[in-house]
Amino acid sequence: MKTSRGAAILAIITAALLILPLVVHDTFVLRVLTEGIMWIGLAIAFDVIAGYTGYLNFGHGAFFGIGAYTIGILMMQAHLPFWVALPLGGVAAALTALIAGIPTLRLKGAYFAIATWALSRAIQQLALNVEFTGGPDGMRLEAFLNPLFFYYLMLITVGAIFLVLWYLLERAPFGLKLKAIREDEEGAKALGLNPTMLKMQSFILSAIPTGILGGIYAYWITFIDPSSTLGDLVSDQAVVMVVFGGMGTLFGPALGAILIFAFKTIFWAYLSDFQLLYLIILGALIAISVIFIPNGLWGTLVKRKAVARPQEKPEPASEPAALSAVAVPEEGN
Amino acid sequence: MMELLPQALTDGILLGGIYITIAIAFSLTYGVMHVIDFAVGEWIMFGAFTGYYLNKWTGLDPFIFLPVIFVIYFGVGYLVQPVIHRVLSGTKGNPFLMGLVFTFGLAIMFRGLALTAFGFYSNSIPSAFSEGSFNLDSIGLTVTIPTVRLMGLAYAVAITLILHYLLKKTNFGLGVRALAQHKDAAGLMGVNAKRTGSYVYGIYVGISAMTGVLLGCILSIGAQMGNEYTIFAFFVVVLAGMGYLAGVPWAALLLGLVQSIFMIYFNPSHTLLAVFVILYIILLISPRGLFGKGV
Repeated sequence: MKTSRGAAILAIITAALLILPLVVHDTFVLRVLTEGIMWIGLAIAFDVIAGYTGYLNFGHGAFFGIGAYTIGILMMQAHLPFWVALPLGGVAAALTALIAGIPTLRLKGAYFAIATWALSRAIQQLALNVEFTGGPDGMRLEAFLNPLFFYYLMLITVGAIFLVLWYLLERAPFGLKLKAIREDEEGAKALGLNPTMLKMQSFILSAIPTGILGGIYAYWITFIDPSSTLGDLVSDQAVVMVVFGGMGTLFGPALGAILIFAFKTIFWAYLSDFQLLYLIILGALIAISVIFIPNGLWGTLVKRKAVARPQEKPEPASEPAALSAVAVPEEGN
Repeated sequence: MMELLPQALTDGILLGGIYITIAIAFSLTYGVMHVIDFAVGEWIMFGAFTGYYLNKWTGLDPFIFLPVIFVIYFGVGYLVQPVIHRVLSGTKGNPFLMGLVFTFGLAIMFRGLALTAFGFYSNSIPSAFSEGSFNLDSIGLTVTIPTVRLMGLAYAVAITLILHYLLKKTNFGLGVRALAQHKDAAGLMGVNAKRTGSYVYGIYVGISAMTGVLLGCILSIGAQMGNEYTIFAFFVVVLAGMGYLAGVPWAALLLGLVQSIFMIYFNPSHTLLAVFVILYIILLISPRGLFGKGV
């Protein structure tokens, strides 16, 4: 019953978002919505590796930037059409994940966290220093000024990302395997799972959507430079959204993305001089969330509800379930 | 170009010496808390700016301030650590992940604070030692050693010796080493993990801040310098093998050499890329560090 009600709410939201542009013609509103939807996609993609697998990727923005630059370079220098370039943006992000993951995913979480962060800094340096990216001047793409097209493209892409991730992480055994690694890597290994392989798959699964969203962003905004697409703000925001919203779920990051993005939009609209203040707020928000709501907003809300209605048996905690349930599909192989 | 090589090597060793201090303190904190502090570069940056402003207001040489800066930042670290400890000993969620996220959040916040307060300009801290230099022409080498860098190395050696004494010869050091080996067992033996952690974190923040002042005298300071030094600290610790203190000096010297060689022979803005490539290769071939003794 709970699932069907959730599905109904989601269907209503989706329908509302689909009809919305027919009612609202203001381009500013459309732009804000498009970007908001994009951030939902980025946040849930980040959560695949961070929340479900328990490996923090502090350089998530690198995939976004790589996607953006891949599309920019392929469209402007190889003159490929957008629809050919876009999937290649995802491929480029996946390759980067593979290259970065091979040495780091064998190791403990701390290595991965700081190595991905260092990688994103290194990639930004690379984009600043090589010729074909335009260096610090950035890159201008062919303008295709159709806000409606990008609104729907973003909506459909993020919707598809959400459905694919929801199926893989919440319905297929894959999600349980990842959770098993998060809870107890040695235990998962003892059950016959290959943690390194699974971590790699989840890292790539997190990178592909991010690269594709970066590509759409590049074509939409038509101008990319190392500080806007490869800067640390993209990664920092993704971390805040997921930690504040709630790790290890799909709805938590989405909620976090909506709230943080709404806050940012209002904040920047009224206080455009204080962009640096935003950095302080982001950092403080991470610290406060960690101390007071370690399960994130979504986790805290869901738990409250479960406590308030004791007659309804709360869903079994994912920790032990993850380990025991994983064993079943493995035996079939 | 070859005649520049002795100069590059000398610069590298002198610079690497300074990195030793950061990396040992950073490694020590990791050993006690089992969490990487992403704010390491920001502590360095704060220390550098404190030195810069103290020098501006009082006109005294930054080297005189070093103990003052240590005391200030020891206090700051001592007060911050209990919060990290609380996050790490939490029962909700995954405390280890939360600890990483927490220090990451601190780093973002500090960077924002610094950019708001100090802007994007970069500066350097003037010191009486900035002017002078030694020439080694007399022994047939075309090497110039700026006095300030030599002072930096002296500082690094002094700090390293003090830390060595503290760790190996005192009860406090015994407690720290015990905590690094096994937190629970150390607790059973009467080591107060909370208080020892606070002291270690305080020492680490204090040393990072002092080193920041030196880096400000030798290189430059800016609100965005933190990122670079966080990567450097990580580089040294991974190269040495995480938690393996004896490897730290060698890794720090190597970092100094890489940096000075890139400054002289290649484009200095490629240093970070070179550092990353080396890091990648080390992680690929020997993830437990150059000596294979990390955790």
